[in-house]
Amino acid sequence: MIATLRETCRQLLSDGKVDVVIGYGHDAAADGAEDAPVYPVFITKPEDAGRLVWNDRCHANLAVYLKHEEIRSLGRAAIIVKGCDQRSLVVLEKESQLDRSKIYVIGIACDGLDRPKCRTCDVHEPRGADVIIGHKAAGTGYPCAGGVPSANGTQGLPDTLPDDRYAELRAFLARPSAERLAYWRQELARCVKCYACRQVCPMCYCRRCIVDKNRPQIISTSATLKGNFAWHITRAFHLAGRCVGCEECSRACPMGIDLRLLNLSVAQAAEENFAFRAGDDPAAEPVIGSYAIQDKEDFIR
Amino acid sequence: MIWSAAIYRRFAAALRPFVNEEITGKKKKAVINHRSPKKNMARIGVFVCWCGENIARTVDVEQVASAAAEMPGVACAMTCKYMCSEPGQAAIRHKIAEEHLTGVVVASCSPHMHLRTFRKAAEKEGLNPYLVEMANIREHCSWVHQDRTQATAKAIDLVAMAVAKTRNDQALAPITIPLTRRAMVIGGGVAGIQAALDIADAGYQVALVEREPSIGGKMAGLSETFPTLDCSQCILTPRMVEAGQHPNITLHTYSEVESVEGYVGNFRVKVRKKARYIDMEKCTGCGQCWNHCPAKKNPSAFDYGLGQRTAIYIPFPQAVPARPVIDAAACLKLTKGKCGICAKKCQAGAIRFDDEERMVTEEVGAIVVATGYKLYSIEKKTGTAYPLPTAAGTPLPLSGYGEYGYGRYADVIDSLQFERLLSASGPTGGEVRRPSDGQVPKNVVFISCVGSRDNAKGIAYCSKICCMYTAKHTMLYKHKVHDGQAHVFYMDIRSGGKNYDEFVRRAIEQDGAHYLRGRVSKIVEQSGRLIVRGVDTLAGEAVTIEADLVVLAAAMCPSDGAETLAQKLNVGYDENGFLSESHPKLRPVETNAAGVYVCGACQGPKDIPESVAQATACAGKTLVMFSRQQLTREPEIARVDETNCAACFACVRACPYTAIERAEIRDRKGNLVKRTARVNPGLCMGCGTCVAVCPSKSADLAGFSEQQIYAMVESLV
Amino acid sequence: MNEPQEFQPKIIAYVCNWCTYLGADLAGTNRLEYPANVRVIRLPCTGRIDFNLIVKAFEMGGDAVLVSGCHPGDCHYTAGNYHARRRWMLFRPLLEAFGIETERVHFTWISAAEGRKWQQVVAELTETTRKLGPYTGYREICEAKG
Repeated sequence: MIATLRETCRQLLSDGKVDVVIGYGHDAAADGAEDAPVYPVFITKPEDAGRLVWNDRCHANLAVYLKHEEIRSLGRAAIIVKGCDQRSLVVLEKESQLDRSKIYVIGIACDGLDRPKCRTCDVHEPRGADVIIGHKAAGTGYPCAGGVPSANGTQGLPDTLPDDRYAELRAFLARPSAERLAYWRQELARCVKCYACRQVCPMCYCRRCIVDKNRPQIISTSATLKGNFAWHITRAFHLAGRCVGCEECSRACPMGIDLRLLNLSVAQAAEENFAFRAGDDPAAEPVIGSYAIQDKEDFIR
Repeated sequence: MIWSAAIYRRFAAALRPFVNEEITGKKKKAVINHRSPKKNMARIGVFVCWCGENIARTVDVEQVASAAAEMPGVACAMTCKYMCSEPGQAAIRHKIAEEHLTGVVVASCSPHMHLRTFRKAAEKEGLNPYLVEMANIREHCSWVHQDRTQATAKAIDLVAMAVAKTRNDQALAPITIPLTRRAMVIGGGVAGIQAALDIADAGYQVALVEREPSIGGKMAGLSETFPTLDCSQCILTPRMVEAGQHPNITLHTYSEVESVEGYVGNFRVKVRKKARYIDMEKCTGCGQCWNHCPAKKNPSAFDYGLGQRTAIYIPFPQAVPARPVIDAAACLKLTKGKCGICAKKCQAGAIRFDDEERMVTEEVGAIVVATGYKLYSIEKKTGTAYPLPTAAGTPLPLSGYGEYGYGRYADVIDSLQFERLLSASGPTGGEVRRPSDGQVPKNVVFISCVGSRDNAKGIAYCSKICCMYTAKHTMLYKHKVHDGQAHVFYMDIRSGGKNYDEFVRRAIEQDGAHYLRGRVSKIVEQSGRLIVRGVDTLAGEAVTIEADLVVLAAAMCPSDGAETLAQKLNVGYDENGFLSESHPKLRPVETNAAGVYVCGACQGPKDIPESVAQATACAGKTLVMFSRQQLTREPEIARVDETNCAACFACVRACPYTAIERAEIRDRKGNLVKRTARVNPGLCMGCGTCVAVCPSKSADLAGFSEQQIYAMVESLV
Repeated sequence: MNEPQEFQPKIIAYVCNWCTYLGADLAGTNRLEYPANVRVIRLPCTGRIDFNLIVKAFEMGGDAVLVSGCHPGDCHYTAGNYHARRRWMLFRPLLEAFGIETERVHFTWISAAEGRKWQQVVAELTETTRKLGPYTGYREICEAKG
């Protein structure tokens, strides 16, 4: 499979169909060492396609690089996406941040990388890709812990209903509100405002983020509880109907704060109230910025 | 380093020992030696109004002024008995000049009352009017609280917020927009006709839209009007003809408003003209068609079901336009493909069975709404459109009065139906006859307040005209049936207009109407007569009357579809469906939608003189608008910071007026630098929805900017 | 007479200019009394109200927040309140996930004719908040150092 991947990319570059391939790879110096760290790589020469890899450390959501001017200036891009990452492309296009017709999407079949999101994944094969490397039947991915073989013979992941995606959240919400607040007080006390969560998120593409605005200063920039709460409330809400659940923010957080729960709470609200899941339907209107006269709620007097 | 207002105050306090303070009476003028106050600091003047006793009785206005003088950015603070009066405004202007004020806060009544007043005063003194804000310490404070300490503390907080907002105000200039000097009047009753004539006589074009085939409204169906007993049609039809023939009035009858776009001075209204199946150019109104139509037994809406009409019909002889219309559901040709006699008889060849409805678009600068009323539906089984349910979970009010037998007994009718019986052109030729057997009734019972003033039915209001027309009905009945007896069951008699009370006394004293103070509990039919069981509370006894005819004075409700039309126009309406005026006393014909005016019964129950007066008032307002050289728009609109905008275009999606466009910024060579959202200042109405959806807050709203609102919240620490 | 130490909640209300603000004016014109704990911030439309304003109100020591505007279908700007409603439907679950007391955040539709409703809402809200007590939970968060 890796050979297919490298060959596809080499061909794309040498045919001049794309100018850069954004994928997972090793450092140039690593040169084949199996346990070398995996980085996002930007291959511009066909002969470098050999640096591309696919293994159980290919966590990064590469869609985030499409917002960088330095990458865009390299020319037409091909991007390697897992099923979860592909959703980001849908959202970005809806928000006029990329032109789908100008990028080449290489979908990579994935059976899970041992992240919480993988347990409820329904896109082992990415949608909307120009080409898919790897096939479900061939069992080309990596098994997820505790998985059972599914009907079509894939290793690992059970087919699950969307409900299960929010099981953890529902358990959390069942706790009394004082406990929830105490939990976040404890967690967010560790936040040092490094903004790694913002950097790694494909949806955080604002040129001047709201937290950096100082007239007025809406969110305190200090790494106090006040500033941390304000920041995370804001970021979670700004991701309403936009977070695709790639969980990179949680993974990137150096303090190990589990930000997924916050994003899940708004995602669940969007799905329950508006039957909307970010990145599923390219034609669906984003939830914020649109409305329906029949939007039903029970808390407005 | 960014300081919140709280920290700034603490810093200022620490600095105080180094500041020269001149304490003159209630004002503190702080002069910091090493900085020029004019350039760097805001100099806001705070003016606290006593409003006579209205504010000062509850709020310690002197304390508010003292507290205001301490607030950061405030150069001076004073009180005044009546800020909006000439001397009050002069005091503000004087201070602006003397203290070189950069902003003004007036702590007094609601900004909806006098913000414009104070902005104009400031402008006269050379201060940009958008640097003036108000703190509402009357409607929101002194009028609703009793505790002096709490009310004063609240007033101080409200002033602090207003000062914080003013400190962040920006000078703005009004935006000029084009103005279409044409008007539309929706509703062709007496109010609509009056408004249309007044505007047309002033030289402007008017499009008059009427839902029925003819203009005239309810008044065209009345017999005689109080208090003069003028023949209703005699005084109305000349007006109708004038409107129909006026060179400046375009009639769109049998038409309804489909949609409204745009804003004051620039409305685009789509009007749906329903199919009449008549060629209006060719038809001469000769009447051959409706005289020969075989489909004769259709209930006439003009006679409120008491009479019948043909399928091709003219609603009444004096209709304007005097052209028939075909009721498609009743016409044999249109439903079954048979007949077609009218086309054969028509010498002008004006029947067009292939007619279709069409849309026309009218571009107007002002809209007058005069959609009138309908009577409350007394039958228990048919629900009413009004009153509207107030909140989720509130039980719906009961509807109808089943106990009166309306709809079950043919001889129980409502007041508009009785008018048709009285009318010379009505279904009985002006003779009062029972609908059941055509006999002349000798004993007629009139019941007032059917629906009105009944909380159980959800109608708390009084319909105003029923006492007067009931008295009129008894008089007209007596004039026609000399040996008849009229009985009126009433709760109160409301006859407050000119010559009104005298009129009612005439009915009782000269025409022998028998007035009983009490309500009717039930009406039962027995051997062709109606047994009316009621009470005479003044005599203290139950009363039973055997009546030949019962007339119910049903409540006045807004016409069907008024609520939908109001939503199209962005006009508010109350829980009864009556359209809301801007201010009940001072702006009775304007609405909160600029350029849209209301008159007549659609705004609230009223009689003909009041409807006509309001109609002329609407015309007056319209003509004021048209008389201006140009129309200016308030500049409190949105703006996008194009450098920061991430071009996600959430604002474009969200804007209710599609006032934001996707724009490109290119360099001189034509290369794309970046994309951005851009607000069209001609279309933006200043709601601020774009600001709330913008993730980076690149969109901001002048007059309610992010800086201002957060400063207001932070001043409450 | 109030007991000397009775807790006076601080309530911040973000209201729309055309409906609720006028409704509050009407309450004033009709002299309908209510407790003096509410501080009204006038905005053109509920569509303008950002969720950060609610958070900021709590940061500034507010014990409850009221957000109020025109009834659906009656927005002066046609659709601002529909957008606001959608935002609140997404924001409340987030507040709940954080453990922030949603009993302290109130949303209402109050029209310009509903002076009495304004009075009732404010009176009830004040009493409810008085019973809940000061919002120490969020205040402690805001005062925590480093």
